[in-house]
Amino acid sequence: MIDLVNVSRLYHRGADEIHALERVSLHVERQRFVALMGPSGSGKSTLLNVLAGLDRPNSGEVTVAGQRLNEMSEDQLAEFRAHTVGFVFQFFNLIPVLSALENVELPLLLTRLGKSERRQRAETALRVVGLSDRADHRPRELSGGEQQRVAIARSIVTDAELIVADEPTGDLDAKNAEEILSLLQTLRRDFGKTVVIVTHDPRAEKWVDEVIHLDKGVLLEKRPGGAARGAAGAAG
Amino acid sequence: MKYLPLIWRNLGRNPLRSLLTAAAIALAIALVCILRTMPAGLDAVLASAAANTRISTHNEAGIVYSMPYAYLAKVRAVPGVVSAISWNWFGGAIDVTKGTEFPNFAVDPDGFAEVYADWGLDPKAFEDFRKYRDAALVGHTTLEKYRWKVGDVVTLQSTVFPVSLSFRIVGSIPTSTPSFYFQREYLAQALSAAGVPFDTTGMIWSRIDDPDRVAPVMRQIDEMFHNSEAITSTETEVSFVGNFFSGLRQLVTIIQIVAALVTLCIVFIAANTASMSIRERVGEIAILKAIGFRKQTIFSTLLAEAGLLALVAGIAGAATAWVLTKMLQHYASGGGPQLGPLTAFVVSNVILVQAIFIAFFIGILSGWVPALGASRRSVAQTLREVF
Repeated sequence: MIDLVNVSRLYHRGADEIHALERVSLHVERQRFVALMGPSGSGKSTLLNVLAGLDRPNSGEVTVAGQRLNEMSEDQLAEFRAHTVGFVFQFFNLIPVLSALENVELPLLLTRLGKSERRQRAETALRVVGLSDRADHRPRELSGGEQQRVAIARSIVTDAELIVADEPTGDLDAKNAEEILSLLQTLRRDFGKTVVIVTHDPRAEKWVDEVIHLDKGVLLEKRPGGAARGAAGAAG
Repeated sequence: MKYLPLIWRNLGRNPLRSLLTAAAIALAIALVCILRTMPAGLDAVLASAAANTRISTHNEAGIVYSMPYAYLAKVRAVPGVVSAISWNWFGGAIDVTKGTEFPNFAVDPDGFAEVYADWGLDPKAFEDFRKYRDAALVGHTTLEKYRWKVGDVVTLQSTVFPVSLSFRIVGSIPTSTPSFYFQREYLAQALSAAGVPFDTTGMIWSRIDDPDRVAPVMRQIDEMFHNSEAITSTETEVSFVGNFFSGLRQLVTIIQIVAALVTLCIVFIAANTASMSIRERVGEIAILKAIGFRKQTIFSTLLAEAGLLALVAGIAGAATAWVLTKMLQHYASGGGPQLGPLTAFVVSNVILVQAIFIAFFIGILSGWVPALGASRRSVAQTLREVF
C-alpha cells in the first residue's frame, strides 16, 4: 500500500537547515493499522504529510496505492488526496458553520455524485461512527469525542483506501481516546482500510498492528503493535 | 452551484461584519445610481424647459447688457419668424431686503401666446393678460410657493428700476420653473411717470416656423445687427438654457469623481473585510485543501463569497436608489411642486444593471488578492503553523 524509498525532507528556517526526514524507507501493507511514534520534532508528522500527498520530499520515492506521488502536479495530488486518502486531525477541524452531516458530505462535493447520493453516503458514514442522531448538530454542539468521530466519518465517506490521522487522540480524554482508537481499528478490520496515525499516546500501541519509531528524522525501529501480538497469540 | 450552501454559510459566519460590509457597498451603489441619473435628468429638465424652434437674441456682450427696443420690430420682420417678443428683467422683490426670489419679466403680450405656444396657456387667462395692463401670468410653482391664486394682487418693488408695481394675477403658467410675466407697457408707463427713459430690451424671444430654418434665421438676425451699436448673439432655447446648466454639469462631474473615489474606498474596505475573513480561517482552508479541494476551487469559492456579498449589497443599494427616486417623483407630483425638476431624475433599468455590475466588480476586486493568497498557501506549512 505504502512504499517510501530513501525519502528525505529538508526545511529552511531562516539560515538553519532542518532535516525533518533523512533517507527514510518504509513499506506498509494494505489493511494495516500503523502508528508513527517518536518525540516532538522527530519527523513523524512530516512523514505522514509526505505519504498523504500533502508535502513533497526533497529526494526519494513515494508510492501510495500504486501511485507515484513524486511525479504528480499540485492538481493531481489534490485529486489523489480526494479519492485515496481520508484525513483526521488532532483538533477535529470541522467547518463550524456546517452541520455534522454537511461536514461529512464536504469531500463528496469534489465528486460527480448528485445531491441525494451525497446525502445518502454521508448518512451512512455517520451511521458507521454511531452519530446518526447528531446529523443536524453543529460542531460546537458536539463533544470532542463526537467531533472526532464526525471527522472520521468525513475521512471514510469517499471510501478512501488510506486513512491518515495526526494525533487523533491528542485532544481527547482517556475514554474518548480509546473509543477513537477502537473505531480506527474497526475501519482497518471491518472495512479493509489502511490506517496510519501519528501519536504520542502510549495507549495506541495496543490497538495498532505496527509501531514505527522515528527520531530526528530517522526511522529507528519498526515493531509489531498490540493488535498484531494479540492476533499472533490467538493464532498460537 | 453545489458550493453555494458552503459560500452562503461562510457569509453568515460573522453576520455583523457581513452586514456592515454590505451596507457600505449598498450605500456606495445607491450613491452611484443617483449620480448616474443626473446627466440624463439634466437633459430631461433641459428638454422640458426648452423648445427647438424658439430662439433667444441678446447682446453679444452678455444678457445683462441691453439692446435697443427697435430691434424687436426688425426681428419680427425676418422671414421665418412667426412671432417675437421682448423681455426685460424687472428684478421685482416682495421684500427688497430679501432680494429677487423668483424671475420676473416685462414682456410684450402681442405674440406671447405664439412664442410660448407649447406652454398650453389657458386662452381665457391669456385674453385677460392682454386686456388688463396690470395683469400678470405666474408659473404654477411660484403660485403654490407663495400661496397666491388667480385674482390676487401682489406688489413687487423693482431692484433695477425706481418703481414699485402692483399686479393682478390673471392666470398660471403650467411650467415647473419659477416665473412671473407682466406687460411691458405697464412698466413703460410707470417709468415714464418717473421720468426714466425706457427704450431698451434685455432679450428677444422668437418662434421660428420650421426647425430646419432655425439656423439660417439665427444667422440672419445676427448679421442684421452686426454693424449696429449692440451686436447680437442668437441661440436656440436649448442652447440658451443649456448654458445655465453647464455650471451644474461641471458640479455633477465633480460629484461623480468624488463618488468614484468613494467607491474605490469601499473596494479597499471590502478587501480588508475579505482579508480578515479569510485570515481567520486559514486553518479551515488548509483542511479543505488537505481533503482534496484544488486551489482553483478554493480561489473560486472565496471569490464567489466576496462577489455574492457585493451582489446582494448592490441589488439592495440599487433598489434603495430606485425607491428613493420614485418617492421623490411621487412627492413632487403630489404636493411638492418645488421638487418638480426632480421627477426627471429616474433610475433607469440601464443604471440598475450597471450599478449591480459595479457592485459585483467591487466584490470580485476586493476578494481577488486575499482569495489568491489563501489558495496558494502550502497546506503542510499552514497545518504546521496553525495546528
